[in-house]
Amino acid sequence: MTCFRINGREVSVDADDDTPLLWVIRDDIGLTGTKFGCGIGMCGACTVHVGGRATRSCSTRLADVEGAEVTTIEGLDPAGQHPVQKAWVGLQVPQCGYCQSGQIMQAVALINDFPAPSDADIDNVMAGNLCRCMTYVRIRAAIKAAAADMKGGATHV
Amino acid sequence: MLGFVMAKRIFLAFGVLLLVGIVGIAALAYRPAIATVPVPAFAPALVAEGEILAAGGYCATCHTVRGGAPFAGGRAMKTGFGTLYSTNITPDPETGIGGWSQAAFARALREGISRDGSQLFPALPFDHFTKLSDDDVAALYAYMMSRPAVKAPAKPNDLPFPLNIRALQAGWKLLFFKAGRFTADPAHNAQWNRGAYLTDALGHCGACHTPRNALGAEQPGKPYAGASIDGWIAPALTAANQAPIAWTTPELTAYLTTGVSLYHGTAAGPMSAVVHDGLAKLPPADQQAVTLYIESLGQGDSRAGAAAPVLAKALAVQPGKDADGRLFTAACGSCHHAGAAPNPLRPLIALNSAVTLDEPTNLIRLILYGIGAKQGAPGVVMPGLGGLSDADVARLAAVIRRTHSALPPWNDLAKKVAAVRADGPGES
Amino acid sequence: MFNPDKSAVAAPHPLSRRGFLVAAGAGGLAFGFAGLSRAAGDAAPPAATAPGFEPTLWFTVGADGIVTVNIIRAEMGQHVGTALARILAEELEADWAKVRIVHVDTDPKWGVMTTGGSWSVWQTWPLYSRAGAAGRIALIEGGARLLGTAPAACTARGGKVIAGGRSISYGDIVARGGLTRSFTPAELDKLPIKPVTERRLVGKPVAAMDIPDKTNGSAIYGIDAKVPGMVHARPVLPPTRYGAKVVSIDDAAAKAVKGYLQSFALDDPSGSVPGWVMVIATSTAAAIRAADLVKVAWSGGDGATVSEKTIQDRGRALIADPKAGGIVDTGGGDVEAALKTAKTRITATYTTASVLHFQLEPVNALAFEKDGVFEIHTGAQWQSLTLPVLAKALGRPETSIIMRTYRIGGGFGRRLNGDYAVPAALAAKALGKPVKMILTRADDVRFDSFRSPSVQTLRIGLDAQGRAVAMDHAASAGWPTQILAPGFLPKGTNGTPYDPFAINGADHWYAVGTQQVRAISNDVANSSFRPGWLRSVGPGWTNWAVESFIDEAAHAVQADPVAFRLAHLTGAGRNAGGGLTAVGGALRQAAVVRRAAELAGWGQKLPAGSGLGIATSFGQERDMPTWTACVAQVRVAPKTGEVTVEKLTLVVDAGTIVDPDSARAQVEGAALWGLSLALHEGTTFTNGQVADTNLDSYTPLRITDVPELVIEFTASDQPPVGLGEPATTVVAPAIANAIFAATGKRQRHLPIRPEAVLATV
Ligand code: FES
Ligand code: FES
Repeated sequence: MTCFRINGREVSVDADDDTPLLWVIRDDIGLTGTKFGCGIGMCGACTVHVGGRATRSCSTRLADVEGAEVTTIEGLDPAGQHPVQKAWVGLQVPQCGYCQSGQIMQAVALINDFPAPSDADIDNVMAGNLCRCMTYVRIRAAIKAAAADMKGGATHV
Repeated sequence: MLGFVMAKRIFLAFGVLLLVGIVGIAALAYRPAIATVPVPAFAPALVAEGEILAAGGYCATCHTVRGGAPFAGGRAMKTGFGTLYSTNITPDPETGIGGWSQAAFARALREGISRDGSQLFPALPFDHFTKLSDDDVAALYAYMMSRPAVKAPAKPNDLPFPLNIRALQAGWKLLFFKAGRFTADPAHNAQWNRGAYLTDALGHCGACHTPRNALGAEQPGKPYAGASIDGWIAPALTAANQAPIAWTTPELTAYLTTGVSLYHGTAAGPMSAVVHDGLAKLPPADQQAVTLYIESLGQGDSRAGAAAPVLAKALAVQPGKDADGRLFTAACGSCHHAGAAPNPLRPLIALNSAVTLDEPTNLIRLILYGIGAKQGAPGVVMPGLGGLSDADVARLAAVIRRTHSALPPWNDLAKKVAAVRADGPGES
Repeated sequence: MFNPDKSAVAAPHPLSRRGFLVAAGAGGLAFGFAGLSRAAGDAAPPAATAPGFEPTLWFTVGADGIVTVNIIRAEMGQHVGTALARILAEELEADWAKVRIVHVDTDPKWGVMTTGGSWSVWQTWPLYSRAGAAGRIALIEGGARLLGTAPAACTARGGKVIAGGRSISYGDIVARGGLTRSFTPAELDKLPIKPVTERRLVGKPVAAMDIPDKTNGSAIYGIDAKVPGMVHARPVLPPTRYGAKVVSIDDAAAKAVKGYLQSFALDDPSGSVPGWVMVIATSTAAAIRAADLVKVAWSGGDGATVSEKTIQDRGRALIADPKAGGIVDTGGGDVEAALKTAKTRITATYTTASVLHFQLEPVNALAFEKDGVFEIHTGAQWQSLTLPVLAKALGRPETSIIMRTYRIGGGFGRRLNGDYAVPAALAAKALGKPVKMILTRADDVRFDSFRSPSVQTLRIGLDAQGRAVAMDHAASAGWPTQILAPGFLPKGTNGTPYDPFAINGADHWYAVGTQQVRAISNDVANSSFRPGWLRSVGPGWTNWAVESFIDEAAHAVQADPVAFRLAHLTGAGRNAGGGLTAVGGALRQAAVVRRAAELAGWGQKLPAGSGLGIATSFGQERDMPTWTACVAQVRVAPKTGEVTVEKLTLVVDAGTIVDPDSARAQVEGAALWGLSLALHEGTTFTNGQVADTNLDSYTPLRITDVPELVIEFTASDQPPVGLGEPATTVVAPAIANAIFAATGKRQRHLPIRPEAVLATV
């Protein structure tokens, strides 16, 4: 039994230690906003936050989140109105949308670490998140818009 | 865990010992049993003191299985010769140390002899604990004996004959074990000596960080010179340490008390438990003493000034845009890009000794297995990239070495990756 | 029902959009699954409203005034529902705030369900415009009656019928009942469409309706489908796409996996998944792990010794045989004779490597039988093609199979071929319970209908003035349509059928004198894997060859590449255009070339090692031209051969732009796809398998390689045409032409790897 918190809720999961967190989140906990793309930590579609840091859930063993605090796209903001989400809607970033939960989770973590991200910061940090629809131009723009918005004051996840 | 990781080396040495044909050891091994006694009540202050000391010696780390009752034993330690299980050290009379007198307890810790007179395997670092003071042994005794008793029969060790003959341990002791308490070095002040005591005796740091001779004993002339231990490399704590930026007092303090440092990454592998189960729980004065002592081993403060250019270079590393560089950027860049200034939670790979050590072992382990939320930076996970093939992990390690250091490439990387993978992630 | 053969007969050009329109418009069959019209993939379905008004199949107006537009196109990132609803709402004069979309499940009444070829807006434009107009007319009539006035005295605007100072809302009109007006297809066809000046929605900024759900985790894709009691499956794939037979299955090691249930070989009458073994478990994670431990032995296997080189060598041999292939109608004439008259003759051969779809959502399907109907829950692009395959596999009529519609995590043509639905359906049938199958990434790649490697040889003859007098283009590749939809192969002028999706683009709009275009099916490719349609299909490689070669021709006669192109885009003869959407012909292509060159600063001096290159395209097909031009600015690193694309300038004339922002998004994505295919993507078929199966070695474009993008749309009131693909095809030749400008060396293979560039400089 592995116990951790997800989106503020305490959960205990009875699965093998080696089970990827991704499948625990999707199948056992039933939150499907976190996506499966490559399974080897190279696409970022499965990105969640563990302890507030962007983490590839496909490559995270269940045992390794014992006691940790996990946040998925569903838990980022109760109303889906995190400034990054708002920027994403405002700039119409998603195409097929499949990568976007991961992009958003990664972008939130990016802005937390780099409140005024440079182009190099954006490129380097977002390079792990593949967008097969190639929405990259808008991802860049939306990150800048959200960062500017967040400098306004309110602190977020 | 520390005991576990050194167990392999010790058993190897023991095999050698057998081969040289020393006989009659069994006779030397004889020790009388010490009778059981009713366990007295202990002063709460003494128990509290013992609790801190037990943390400082990481007793729970070895004597607890994941999810199991504290100190009830049963944790597997794989050795090259078979599997050994830690014992139940709760005061259960049947399966633990219930009824052990303080003398029996002290003899076990300091000489490696069980209450019944049998030899303990040297997975228990009695060669360090022998230096423990009487007061500390008393406090540890009080703490252990006031733990809830848990009935947990010892798991039988899975060792082949003749390694399973406890009596044979006596020979090794005869050659390499010297019993005796810690003595202060008058050339140093009290704080330094306190640090030395905590590090050498209670913390048994040398068990991992001191190289061992062919027979598995710590080499007396080379304290803390660094050693390879069961799939990990415990770097030198002396000036020979290969970290690109020196271990200064602030770095040591952050690393040893929180597991996270600005220039040296996070405490991973067996070192993680040392910090989180042990040093983090010591009183600040003791932590400072440990830091002071360890700083004195490597004299890092004297080289603090050299950090700035190394840091600047580390921040400017470009992994390149060839296939390997792209693999690195996609797999590692999201978390390890630090931008203009270092961030302990975006560790700079170029500053990490995993990259500068002569062997790639630590780096391969980190890439394959990552770091759990309970290890390293608390609550944070570094996912492992075990989904990549051995060849890909080798490519990653190679490109990291090539672009993040000026050192010569590692050889046989794919083979070494396969070996570490075959070893498994180890206990978490 | 959809019948490829019949459809082919009905339309002069088998895959012309007219053909699809006929099929799509001829709905209204009585048969259907009551209550199943809502697609499972619509995360927030509209609440059921009181019985509404349904003047045509395509939408209803509820008593609450909510207009619900039925969308038969798959949502895979193009925001198609929003664009199509916009078209309908425009003519309906609806209140946009009250418009909702529903992506419907399969039902024969919808006619052909397919999403691809950048056709959706093009095809739907007249249909939905007229459907909206019909609704408006009926509502005006009903409103006039309620307002006690004549329809002629009323106008409709913003969801209301207005007569002088009085008005009544659509909802109230519907609520009061009595609307009975309906339209026959013939009546619909006659309804006029608004002039451009009257447009209030089309062409104006709009927020795509599918986007919010894609930012908060609530969008439901096929991979998210679930029903109670389902088991999870992962296949063990045979070593080759065809011909392998299961000899034995050893699952001893898998039994140690918690949740593992069983493994069995599939018996597939449809031939979609020969040699597959399904591994069943109680969770996805367990199925994935167990499948790794199941040992299967196979016999046979077609193409086990075939590699990329085998295929390409075969392509070269076929091209060398003048009798091979179907000749596309490009006006006829004796090309050999015409070439002989030329002063300058050049020949070049271009190749492209195998390219994966790598849509980010690995293929998956949930299947089960319920109340006599077999339900397939999955994202699909061409349900009408997949249903007959499922019927064959399951041995039951298509009428008892329904495909539920879900969001698609990337189509790019992969989900035109719905073969992945078959194994889930067969497993569900075998087990008698719901089976959810998810392929891992490596499984997905190995099962991909990837883009065939291609070989093309082009010849051109130029006269003393540097004008083309003859051009010959022979292309050989695996043919997706031949395998998956053979009814769509038209006959060439020599009587040999050809795959338009493997040659479109070669029949370009340049005036080159006598022109011959020959499409040759590569039989070795076809029998070794299942070639697929990949975003921009044929032009993905044909335009690479055409636009590189036109550049070579320009340089051969010392002409400026832009001027050379303009000189050959005369708009004369068969290139004059016309018809419904090709008005203006090659002159519109010349216009985008001119504008792109101007925007990109064509002719400017760049530092050594840098260069500008131009390429242009008319999109996918001559009768739906999307005029596109691109200038690439590149820098070549002399030491490594690494090519950095600094800037891409694109000008697109796609007629009317229905939704400006998603149009731009489509072009951004398509251009970057083009860049990815030019420099970063390509694998190698090796002994019956592609060599790269995941992102460790298959390396689509990432954000670090995104150049500055300048995109401009040409203002136009022509009908809208497709946007999802044309920009993909211009980027690679523009880059190769820019590399030539920078280095003086020609690249003739895609992808262009640094080693290849280094080898030439
Ligand atoms: S699915 Fe986890 S990184 Fe791709
Ligand atoms: S929006 Fe489709 S993969 Fe990114």
